[in-house]
Amino acid sequence: MSEEHSEHKHHEKKKFSLREFHDKHYKKLLMIPLVLLVLALLQIMVQTALTGDFMLKGVSLKGGITISIEKPIDINELNNYLNDKFPQSDIIVRSLSKGGEQFGAVIEASDVESDQLITAVEEKSGKLEDGEFTVEVMGGSLGESFFKETIRAVIIAFIFMGVVVFIYFRVPIPSLAVILCAFSDIMVTLAVANLIGIKMSTAGIAAFLMLIGYSVDTDILLSTRVLKRKDSSVFDAILNAAKTGLTMNLTTLAAIIVALIFAQSDILRQIMTILLIGLIADMINTWLQNAGILKWYVERKHKHD
Amino acid sequence: MIKAKKIFKNFRVIIALIAILLALVAINPNPFAKGVAIRSVSFNSSASLAGIQSPKPTANPMSRERILSMNNVPINNLQDYYDFVSDLNINRTVNIKTTEGLYKLLTKEKIDIIQLNQTETKKIKEQVFNGTLNKTVNITKFITVQKTRETHTGEMEDLGLIVYDAPTTNIRKGLDLQGGTRVLLQPAEEVSTDEMDMLLANMKYRLNVYGLSDVVVRQAGDLSGNQYILVEIAGAKEEEVNDLLAQQGKFEATIGNNTVFRGGTDITYVCRSADCSGIDPYVGCGQTSDKNWACRFRFSISLSPAAAQRQADLTNELSVISDQGSEEYLSEKLFLYLDDKKVDELNIGSDLKGKAATEIAISGSGAGTTRQEAIFNSLENMKRLQTVLITGSLPVKLNVVKTDAISPSFGKEFINNSLFIGLLAVLVVSAIVFIRYKSLKVALPMLFTMLTELILLLGMAALIGWNIDLAAIAGIIIAIGTGVDHQIVIADEILKGEAQVYDWKQRIKKAFFIIMAAYFTTAVAMIPLLFAGAGLIKGFAITTIMGITFGVLIARPAYAAIVEILMKE
Repeated sequence: MSEEHSEHKHHEKKKFSLREFHDKHYKKLLMIPLVLLVLALLQIMVQTALTGDFMLKGVSLKGGITISIEKPIDINELNNYLNDKFPQSDIIVRSLSKGGEQFGAVIEASDVESDQLITAVEEKSGKLEDGEFTVEVMGGSLGESFFKETIRAVIIAFIFMGVVVFIYFRVPIPSLAVILCAFSDIMVTLAVANLIGIKMSTAGIAAFLMLIGYSVDTDILLSTRVLKRKDSSVFDAILNAAKTGLTMNLTTLAAIIVALIFAQSDILRQIMTILLIGLIADMINTWLQNAGILKWYVERKHKHD
Repeated sequence: MIKAKKIFKNFRVIIALIAILLALVAINPNPFAKGVAIRSVSFNSSASLAGIQSPKPTANPMSRERILSMNNVPINNLQDYYDFVSDLNINRTVNIKTTEGLYKLLTKEKIDIIQLNQTETKKIKEQVFNGTLNKTVNITKFITVQKTRETHTGEMEDLGLIVYDAPTTNIRKGLDLQGGTRVLLQPAEEVSTDEMDMLLANMKYRLNVYGLSDVVVRQAGDLSGNQYILVEIAGAKEEEVNDLLAQQGKFEATIGNNTVFRGGTDITYVCRSADCSGIDPYVGCGQTSDKNWACRFRFSISLSPAAAQRQADLTNELSVISDQGSEEYLSEKLFLYLDDKKVDELNIGSDLKGKAATEIAISGSGAGTTRQEAIFNSLENMKRLQTVLITGSLPVKLNVVKTDAISPSFGKEFINNSLFIGLLAVLVVSAIVFIRYKSLKVALPMLFTMLTELILLLGMAALIGWNIDLAAIAGIIIAIGTGVDHQIVIADEILKGEAQVYDWKQRIKKAFFIIMAAYFTTAVAMIPLLFAGAGLIKGFAITTIMGITFGVLIARPAYAAIVEILMKE
């Protein structure tokens, strides 16, 4: 019993300095996520101006062929060979590996016939038997329509999410803070994905939907703890929420990292990469931006009361 | 001990346990399932003659017929099956024991049929609709067909069975995981619901006539109102399927500029048996100038009386011209068009002038780099043409917009990889939770809850026949991931509720206030995906919504109950 007590005291001491710091500087801390958001929006604008699209589209969104083969092969050699052979098309070769050992390759290409591409690959890999390779062909117009469709799905999902948040909390500013946080998450993630050159697939866009789900979880936890607190301070409520929320984020991060290390599927890796970026963005946006806005809101409300 | 009793008496826990039990019944796992399951049986093959039937594509995986032994040799896997079949010879009896019964199968000799330059008269039975009697009657008639000679190859004809390793659960694997062909087609113009139904029925029929039974043909749409048809053929890697499906199958035969007959209603019978279809004996196969091989095929069809009369009227006006040889032809040729592309042109024998002949031979060709390949391609072309003549034309032209041919070995690798990652992730997450709370009372029930959610999700998928594919696995990840998040919320509310002002009920209520808000936002965010993008990522949305719903309604309340009982002094 006494031990627990001393631990509690120890905790309070630590909390004390952090509390002062937060009370004093939380508005400045608010600047970090806002600057990030502005930078992200700038990146997306530049990207759109340069390429005409706000993200790098993979073959599943712009049409093209994906061939996966299950034979160890020299990736660089194949890449150079194919790019020389089909100069007009955009070809990327990536390796598939299991436990650090390469066992195959994924070839993504646009503007080339699948038969020609397979024949060219076979020149390097040897004859490919049925069942040794997978070919996915996406028509160009369908790719374009898939792109529009999934983007539309994300926008509608975002609106639905916003409506639910409003209905649930029934107070405008905290609800808007949750929505802004989800918006920032998406924008920052998109900008980072663009910067590191992720070629987005349909699954990648689906990952943004997952992100909305994960992002809103911690925001709702935070808002509920702050708005429904009984007699503790805003800071205590935020700190309590952060303890729970960061544990949530930590478990999710751990699962994502496990998947990133071991996943063989390209699609799964892309989903996990986007979730990883998104989750880190969400940690900043939830605990600096959303927490800051909430604290500001509650303090102003107190003044007015 | 008392606590354990309390846990098992708690009604939330009881509901969760009952749900797990039901899910396990639906999944029906049997890791020791032996034999090879039958995917399909070819038309007119040894297996089909012995009475073995193709399974319905909707049948549960575990209820599918499995071959257990052949001639008392146990067949435990695909390798056993292939080993046994490769040792078979012609005219042997094979006793096949399956889960459904015993079959006596006679192996056949593979016979190449060559048609001779002679005709013979054959008696056939035909079903004809009689207008005056107003019913269908059987009539016997004599038709003239080409005489054929059969060459015995001495090799055994394939048994006609396509088999795969026996499934061990009722969970259906999607194409991504088991390999196969997926084709997405888009009608060239908007079609009505009736037309769409007809399209789907026609395409299923085509695939069945073609010998593919384990197929899914369904309508799909998207948010922009586009219509699609999604065809998935499990375990098959059939490139020609693309053409077969997309072909509108508008078949037309003309003389001059006049239509003589069209596919569908004008054709009453299409011969598919060896005695009146196969490689054309007049021409057979030959090498072309560029060293390639080409073969001609022909098969006979029966025309409706109206179409035969049309032919008589048209040929009557033509004059007879004679070839260099003794043959005499009519001045116009018969042109055959498939989807407005000319398939073949035929000389019309002078004896057909003005005759209402109902028996007609249709021909075409196929090419290849070797003689074997040319024969194979000709016969494939013939099979396709026969299929569209039998099934008639589609009401609208279809465009192939996406094709995927997925290798089965990638799928197997992927399942093992996903299971490994999933297990490792669950362990790592449990370890973190244990370190954070330093309590097995929190961490162990969480592990149990994660597994419960997984079992419930798979059980539901097995029950409604939902395919587990890549998208569904992503959905499982998000469902279980948010599940862990919510259990942490529950654990924290229970352990560290603000001071001790709340009672247990209030703490759990507060936890569920947060959880329900998170649930609703995630669920509504998934709804647009149900309708977007031709339904190809629908699996992700459905699995996620199903998973979080089970979590919120069954697994997480049980978790709260268990932790509450364990923690309460």
